[in-house]
Amino acid sequence: MQADLMDYTKFRLKPDQEIREVFEHANRMFILFCRKCYKRFEEEGEEQYVHVEEILGDEGAKAAGHVTIDFLCNEFLSGKKISGLDLAGCDSLGVVSCGLGIQFVARLFDGMPVYALADSLPHAKNHPAEVGYHGISLEEEKCAACGQCYLNATGGICPITSCAKGLLNGPCGGATNGKCEVNSSVDCAWVRIRGRLGKRGEDFGSESVAPRDYSKPSLKVKQDLSAQNRVLRGEGFYGGVHPLENKEATAVKKIRSLPEPDRAIIFLCQHAGKRAKPLVAVGERVLVGQKIGEADGFVSACVHSSISGKVIAIEERPYPAAPRNELAVIIENDGKSELDPEIRRRDDLQALPRERLLEIIKESGIVGLGGAMFPTHVKLSPPKPVDTLLVNGCECEPYLNADNRLMIEHPEEILAGIEIVQKILGVDRVLVGVEENKPEAIEALARFVERNPGVELVSLKTKYPQGAERALIKRLADRDVPPPPGGLPFDAGVIVSNIATCFAIYEAVARGLPLFQRVITVSGEGLSKPGNYLVKIGTPIRDVMEYCCGHDVGGLLADHDVKMGGQIMGIPQSNLDSSVVKGTTGLTVLRKYPVAVSGERDCIKCGRCVEVCPMQLYPLFYGYYGRQGEPARAIEHRVEECVECGCCEYICAAKIALLSFIRQEKAYARSADKA
Amino acid sequence: MLAVQIKPEEEIVSLIASKMLFIFECLGCRDVHYPVETAHELIDSLQEQVVDRVTVDYLCHREFVQEYIQAYAEQIEKAQAILVFSCGVGVQVVSALLEDRRVYTGCDTIHLNGFQGLTAKEYNCEQCGECYLNYTGGICPIALCAKHLLNGPCGGSQQGKCEIDPETPCVWQQIVDRLVSLGQGQTLEKLGAPKNWNVSPAP
Amino acid sequence: MSAVVGEPIGGAMKTKSNLERVLETGHFAVTGELGPPQSADPEVIRRKARILKGHVDAVNVTDGQTAVVRMASWAACMIGKEEGLDHIVQMTCRDRNRIALQMDILGIGALGLNNLLCLTGDHQKFGDHPTAKGVYDVDSIQLIKIVKDMRDDRKLQCGGEIPVAPRLFIGAAENPFADPFEFRVPRLAKKVTAGADFIQTQIVYNVDKFAEWMKGVRDRGLHERVKILAGVAPIKSMGAARYMKTRVPGMDVPDSVIERLQGVTKEQVSREGIKLCVDIINQVREIEGVAGVHVMAIEWEEIVPEIVETAGLMPRPRFDQ
Repeated sequence: MQADLMDYTKFRLKPDQEIREVFEHANRMFILFCRKCYKRFEEEGEEQYVHVEEILGDEGAKAAGHVTIDFLCNEFLSGKKISGLDLAGCDSLGVVSCGLGIQFVARLFDGMPVYALADSLPHAKNHPAEVGYHGISLEEEKCAACGQCYLNATGGICPITSCAKGLLNGPCGGATNGKCEVNSSVDCAWVRIRGRLGKRGEDFGSESVAPRDYSKPSLKVKQDLSAQNRVLRGEGFYGGVHPLENKEATAVKKIRSLPEPDRAIIFLCQHAGKRAKPLVAVGERVLVGQKIGEADGFVSACVHSSISGKVIAIEERPYPAAPRNELAVIIENDGKSELDPEIRRRDDLQALPRERLLEIIKESGIVGLGGAMFPTHVKLSPPKPVDTLLVNGCECEPYLNADNRLMIEHPEEILAGIEIVQKILGVDRVLVGVEENKPEAIEALARFVERNPGVELVSLKTKYPQGAERALIKRLADRDVPPPPGGLPFDAGVIVSNIATCFAIYEAVARGLPLFQRVITVSGEGLSKPGNYLVKIGTPIRDVMEYCCGHDVGGLLADHDVKMGGQIMGIPQSNLDSSVVKGTTGLTVLRKYPVAVSGERDCIKCGRCVEVCPMQLYPLFYGYYGRQGEPARAIEHRVEECVECGCCEYICAAKIALLSFIRQEKAYARSADKA
Repeated sequence: MLAVQIKPEEEIVSLIASKMLFIFECLGCRDVHYPVETAHELIDSLQEQVVDRVTVDYLCHREFVQEYIQAYAEQIEKAQAILVFSCGVGVQVVSALLEDRRVYTGCDTIHLNGFQGLTAKEYNCEQCGECYLNYTGGICPIALCAKHLLNGPCGGSQQGKCEIDPETPCVWQQIVDRLVSLGQGQTLEKLGAPKNWNVSPAP
Repeated sequence: MSAVVGEPIGGAMKTKSNLERVLETGHFAVTGELGPPQSADPEVIRRKARILKGHVDAVNVTDGQTAVVRMASWAACMIGKEEGLDHIVQMTCRDRNRIALQMDILGIGALGLNNLLCLTGDHQKFGDHPTAKGVYDVDSIQLIKIVKDMRDDRKLQCGGEIPVAPRLFIGAAENPFADPFEFRVPRLAKKVTAGADFIQTQIVYNVDKFAEWMKGVRDRGLHERVKILAGVAPIKSMGAARYMKTRVPGMDVPDSVIERLQGVTKEQVSREGIKLCVDIINQVREIEGVAGVHVMAIEWEEIVPEIVETAGLMPRPRFDQ
């Protein structure tokens, strides 16, 4: 494969004479180079630019400068780069790229001539037919996209791309020693086909194959599919992917309580920021909803017990969201489910001022339940003014339905929670975004949304990761948030809150319940009881698996992945010894597939990762420099702006473990900052 | 970029009859286009015959397919035929790796403008080896003209639309407009010689 | 790709074409058209040729018009030629690559046919074999040049030399009414530069627009380098008129024409349609630079003699040698 990369080339500089002719029409030409796809990573533009200047000789001044762009044909990103160029004094542009890049640039510049300085080269290599398209991976086989596949009659060898004449009824009679008359280094396709059919106990049919239908594929089909594709790709925000949703198994499953665990493992740090200080000691009895950890500092949160019983240990346990251990309070269940008497309903919700509401939220240990676990009372005290609240009801990950069921079953409480947040922030405008794959949830919310004129329910076309903050803000409010690590939603005047968090806020304010339980979706492959479960925080993952798998789970991780979260961004568990934390949106169990992502594979520079990154980054460099052991170069390519949505790894045709490289590089960046 | 359509059910059924099947389904280019509902409806209707099925991405990648074949060796062995849902490249790769098994495709493959990307373009490149864009203001007649003409429009162009479809722009109208607006109308009068349709690729 | 510029050779007769002689001697030329049958029957051709003989200077035989399979133009021309009438072979680029085109040109030349009209060809989708592959290896302009180089330089497109040249009077079609309008004159210029000797235009019903095009032609002096024959055609019925107006790409049928035909009874429409044709002939004759007319009465060939007579274009010149 690597050898193929070296040899395959989509374009090359035009012959010198032709380039001179082009320059006869220009006085000052700026040149754009595409850093070729399917090629080495090294810079190619420079040596070619020097060559162009050499060709021009005395007229070298006509070349006004140059820039090299990765994947010039990526219209969105390249368009941005090009619009930022200073082309003062230039009367023309030259482009060194395949025909896509040149035509794209020509479309951008209505008033200025755009010249091709390169020729695109045919697909073929040692192929007499010289027709057909490669797949994403550069194998020998090509497809002519004829719209009337003949492979079923030819043993899986394409006669159009393999036979120089594209014959459909057997060989022409020109082959010598089984080699094609057009290119003697290539086997006659029909000899190969006969051989292949023979291996399968088959032979040529006796009926002749009808002449090919060249009107296929029909122009209309092509136009329709192209239009559909462009809508699909452009929906809402740049980038993103459309994985199979796999939500059917649990979409209709009502929320049920999972039995309490015999032992709860409650982490003292289930939030962004400093770990909570333990308030209890080994041997103490605790009650349901009792505070067992105190927030330590501004960005921190309280932790509460989810069961009643005795604290039997305070020790380190494997943390589900990161490959490290964290301090946890281990509680032995006394079976009584005794509630802390401090917990009381409140009936005077409307009278509560915002400061009191914030205090309740803090005291209740509420953090972002969408997965980030950011302390909510901090989020709702933004340092900059905001005018809009966005509520995330997207749940864009495959398999998950926890938020969906909450919306269907508790729309009124959710709306009340939203109104509390709205009051705290003092905003007039609330936009609730729900993906259209949840029609029941939309219907349920719609009835209550009507009550509040400031709240608007927006149905969104499904696209991952629409629930990611920046994507959601772009889609709902059409605003851009400055990139991480510095930029945050309040920089764009908005706050985003997850729908489950809003529900938890209502529970805390109206029913006095601190956060000690949450709804998670347990779904995936091989489960006997997939569903949406109300689970006590601290429930061991092993307990959940045993309940839902219907069999001993000792060997589960041998042939399955268990992820905290959904299929794409979920964090794979290396053991079942951790527990459910506040940010656990689900536990997704997936069979291990024969091909997993690896850090040992070479990037083929297909450019797809760039097409799907919602942060508009170039993830291929993170993999490349990760493998080179040069994290500093990854930082130059803005790895710190990555939100780890996983789209790049998902779409990667070479199955490179991009997320792992990214996380390493970001960790390096963080430690470099501290140094 | 390649996209697939599912073959008519009758065609597939007549091939596989009541054979026991192992199914490969490739979703690598789902974000280009893949008719998942149609495919799954068909696969579900074949349930009784299916020994096992696996969804992969990039069935065009030989190395990956090899690993899948090894991992599913038993099921593939049990099957009497392998049914593949992917573009022609994926089918050919599977077929080459399972030479002595009956491998069938359930799809017809078509092409949308563009190369390996995910977003279909409104222009295309035929990799013809002799880029004409300098004579056409950066708009390609070989890729976009129904007759791939080089010397201007045929007589069938109507109000800027191609004679074969009223929704399709006549690319030569676009070229004329562009060259005229750039003050390069004279270029239109250059006589374009007959094209070499068989330019060889670089060695 | 290199741009090529060539100069048309003037002066002595290039071929034995009767049409060329009529035009070179300054007569207003008349050509006709004959549609071959979708059949292997030669009688149809003979019958039509006999009708037209003596009333036109040469007759076109269409070649796969609207991509429908009919007897090949060159074969029909061979049959019709036996009736003593000069024939114009038509060839499209849709169906043959440059190898086949040049082979057929040599054959046509050897068979003693004198005129060749070079066309791009209607897209295959319009015809009775919409699934066929459209060849378009070369376009009409390149084909014109190929014929010219074969005739005047005895060179094939690849550069190879041929001992005996095909002596063909080279024609091309042009549509003054097609889009983009501003390109119609430059396109004509390209055909002239490539070597076209005569041009037959799409049917003229909109005389004003045609005159506008002719002005552009004259401004560039093209009328002095190539002979332009205006296409004319009688209208047989209202249905035919409407069909041409709405369904034929590149045809311009003004409302005034429809109104004129609506102004008479149904039985009189064809008569009026003939009168219309004669009127247009008379009008285009007055336009400077128009060297003749091309009368297209497809499947109504029997009306051509009357049209030519009524327009005062009889008798046709004869050159007895």
